[in-house]
Amino acid sequence: MKISKVILSMFLLSVLIISCNDDDDIIEPKGDYENGLLISGEGSGTVSGSVSFVSNDFVTVEHSIYNKVNAGKEFSTFLQSLAFDGENAYICVDSQNSITAVNRYTFEEVGVITEGLALPRYMTVVGDKGYATNWGTGAYGADVDDDFVAVIDLNSLTVTNTISVGIGPERIIENNGKLYVSHKGGFSSNNVITVIDIATQNTSEIVVKYKPDDLLFDNQNNLVVLCEGNGPWSAGGETEGAIVKINTSNNTVISEMIFNSGDHPLFLVKYENDLYYNVGSEIYNLSQTATELATSSLLTSEAALQYDGGLEIKDGQLFILNPNYLGLSQLDIYDLNTKAKTNSLEAPVAASKIYFN
Amino acid sequence: MVRYVLIFVFCFFISNSFAQVDSVQKLDVINLHSIKLKKHSKGFKVVTMSDSVIVKNIESFSTLLRFNSPIYIKEYGSGGTSSASFRGTSASNTAVVWNGININSVNNGQTGFNSLTTSLYDNINIRSGGGSIEFGSGAIGGTIHLNNQLRFGNYFENQIVSSFGSYETFQNLYKLSYGNEKTAIKFGISYNQSQNDYKWLGHNLKNENGAYKNLNVSLSLSQKLSEFSKISFYSEKYNGNRQFSGQLPNPSAAKEKYKDLSFRNLIDFHYEKENYAHSLKLAYLTQEYQYFADKNSHSYSFGKSNRFISNYNFNYNFSNSSNLESFSEFESVIGKTDQIQGNNRNQWSQSLIWNKKFEDKVSMNAKVRKDFNSDYKMPFIFALGVEVKPVRNTFVRVNGSKNYRVPTYNDLYWPELGNDKLIPESSLQGEIGLGYKNNQFKIDVGAYFIESKDKIIWKPGADPDKPGMWTPINLSEVLNKGIELVIAYSENINDHLFDIQFNYNYTLATDKASDKTLTYVPKHLFNGNIGYSYHRLSAFYQHLFNGEVFTTEDNIDMYTVPYFNIGNVGVNYKVINKHKNVLDLGIKINNVFNKAYEVLPRRPMPNRNINFNINYKF
Repeated sequence: MKISKVILSMFLLSVLIISCNDDDDIIEPKGDYENGLLISGEGSGTVSGSVSFVSNDFVTVEHSIYNKVNAGKEFSTFLQSLAFDGENAYICVDSQNSITAVNRYTFEEVGVITEGLALPRYMTVVGDKGYATNWGTGAYGADVDDDFVAVIDLNSLTVTNTISVGIGPERIIENNGKLYVSHKGGFSSNNVITVIDIATQNTSEIVVKYKPDDLLFDNQNNLVVLCEGNGPWSAGGETEGAIVKINTSNNTVISEMIFNSGDHPLFLVKYENDLYYNVGSEIYNLSQTATELATSSLLTSEAALQYDGGLEIKDGQLFILNPNYLGLSQLDIYDLNTKAKTNSLEAPVAASKIYFN
Repeated sequence: MVRYVLIFVFCFFISNSFAQVDSVQKLDVINLHSIKLKKHSKGFKVVTMSDSVIVKNIESFSTLLRFNSPIYIKEYGSGGTSSASFRGTSASNTAVVWNGININSVNNGQTGFNSLTTSLYDNINIRSGGGSIEFGSGAIGGTIHLNNQLRFGNYFENQIVSSFGSYETFQNLYKLSYGNEKTAIKFGISYNQSQNDYKWLGHNLKNENGAYKNLNVSLSLSQKLSEFSKISFYSEKYNGNRQFSGQLPNPSAAKEKYKDLSFRNLIDFHYEKENYAHSLKLAYLTQEYQYFADKNSHSYSFGKSNRFISNYNFNYNFSNSSNLESFSEFESVIGKTDQIQGNNRNQWSQSLIWNKKFEDKVSMNAKVRKDFNSDYKMPFIFALGVEVKPVRNTFVRVNGSKNYRVPTYNDLYWPELGNDKLIPESSLQGEIGLGYKNNQFKIDVGAYFIESKDKIIWKPGADPDKPGMWTPINLSEVLNKGIELVIAYSENINDHLFDIQFNYNYTLATDKASDKTLTYVPKHLFNGNIGYSYHRLSAFYQHLFNGEVFTTEDNIDMYTVPYFNIGNVGVNYKVINKHKNVLDLGIKINNVFNKAYEVLPRRPMPNRNINFNINYKF
């Protein structure tokens, strides 16, 4: 009996040790928010900007996850965008002059940068540096030409340097040591892309159509720019929208696909070999090598997508945000093959961006 | 004898329990606005705040109303943009009336309650409910009346009120009053300034960018021209400069600055004989603001308006118990902003008011008004108020009215977004109240409903021709229901005087389409004042309970502003207490329990703060 007890306890002990060793090999979930979508909402005058989590199976939807995890802390308004590196998410909130670093899977706050920022909009990560576009000072109709890209040391979470750029820098993406910044125009309207050489910090500009916003690199490594064009209410009058392709080896415009007058696209994404964009609630797709815009739409979404919202594609599913500024927004999911709406979920107040975590 | 307390005046009686004020009432009062308001408000609830109440909350108009009136105040941090809501109606449904003239901005239809200093007014009346049709557009929820009071008689009086306290706050005013049998003059000047950099409780932060300063000068004159006629002149100039404080989590990002300047002038010629009276009023008002998105930058956006108003009032007494009044008003407004080019709106209106008493049991007002406006068609509106006193000390009051609010200049003319097809919002409302009143005790319980339609709201994509843009439309239908309770009680035990009064409001405001509660309407609102005095010593306590409010239209539990309880306490001592020479020294502690609270999300309100005050009359 005694021996058997000893054997039993040794066996149990060994199991314990083995399982302890095994622990290092088992892939633990990195946090509650690992397998799913992060949806950001800009917030409204009364509700803080926030991030909601949607699980990959669309069963769990959790709002204001930063507030929950970090004891009631808030981002305030307006939450523009998120950027990611391997561990962290960086949340840009423009009117708070803040970029908040959180663990991207647990959403526990790592730190907040408030020094050296002025209306931060978007950030991209290159190595251990973040590059964030900032509008600087100004107001609608009275902008000041002090806009910049802030260089952030992501280890110390401090702004170490700024690179002066033209009015209204918006999106920023990196390719082969160069940063590309779309100048939508901030408080007014602009029509350039700034190219920043990271090593030398020299800048040059490429003229495109008015209100360049979404940027991506296609499968041929060209920069594709969505220019929304000035709306009919603009001070300078209406201008045309366009999808502009830029050769990244010599930074020259290859082609411009011009939209019909009155059509102002808001979103451009790539998926497999195609580009997808919208004009209002109509979603179009075309091959990345196409030279003409699509003539008929792929599907019609329930969201108006004429002012705000969001559009992303993953695994044959099209995600569209239908924003509500006075309550929770809606996330609609469409099947790209059947073109049917397959799901509809709650999204944060003034929902504007979708990220796959 | 310090009387800080607020006096609740019910429609049927003109207050007062105070000897001091009584003597005023017996003299020849020149500004009839306050008296007329009560005469025209049979069946309605009217609350009066005397100057002694006003100087107790000298810090801001918002605070004065928050602790003393049945109004919910929405304030973007202490000293920031502030608006008032009666019975769950919107801020532009609250009309602010200066000496009988509606002074809401033509651009946004509201009055900023931190763009007014109240300390120079002699009394403020708060009238709940619609039907104050002689004060024009907007008064669906209620009206707030700011009055400068003049009187004839032989006197020469000076008053200085000065306070200094936390956050480098200095509040000062000087008033001079002079009168003889034929002339009355009142001059007042006030200057207030504060760093307003209070601690944000629970956060290691301060209220940055909240400093303010303002200067207010007012002059009122009246001259008897004959036994029957007099001419009066009221003028007021306000010059304010304040910063708009930031919000959590980073108040240091705040850079906004706001300057405003208003100038109001009114001439009133009044002629009165046995059974008829008439008066002609001419008013010229200008308002201007400059908004700096960045205080360090010189660029700003602005709004300006000039208004000219002429009003002829004829009053005929058929008998002691019956009289008819007619108001004919012409108003011309020119409003512009940096976004809106100058627009001229002309409006002509005719109102009739019939006042009737049946013995001492029943008194009533019936009112009708029709407007003719250069911009759009205006509805015909009416109001009826009745008051019955069935048994001694009790009363029943009933009122019903149709009201409207015209679209503002921003609604109509904002470039590209304004909607010139808007029609006025309109509402139908009714109220019944019961009460009891004797020398010591007053109670009034009222229940009301307000049904509003064509409410003007800004929504994205509201206009199919302007897809995706935020544009105003006539859309929602709203039903407000509620119960209001007012109680006041006073007791004198061997020269120990006690006063208690409180307001409690229960408000349900629902959007008819969604059946959801409107945002920023607290279901429960309570404020109370307790006063004690013994010879030269007096003390008071003010309390506010502000219920939880939803901040989203879909009433998500997660997005609310929690309820809060806050209290202020003060002690005063009269160092000199002679007939014409009274020096009162006081100390007041605001937020005495040092509670962290917010009125709007992410905008903490002041922590416990203290001020020392001097009130010298000579």
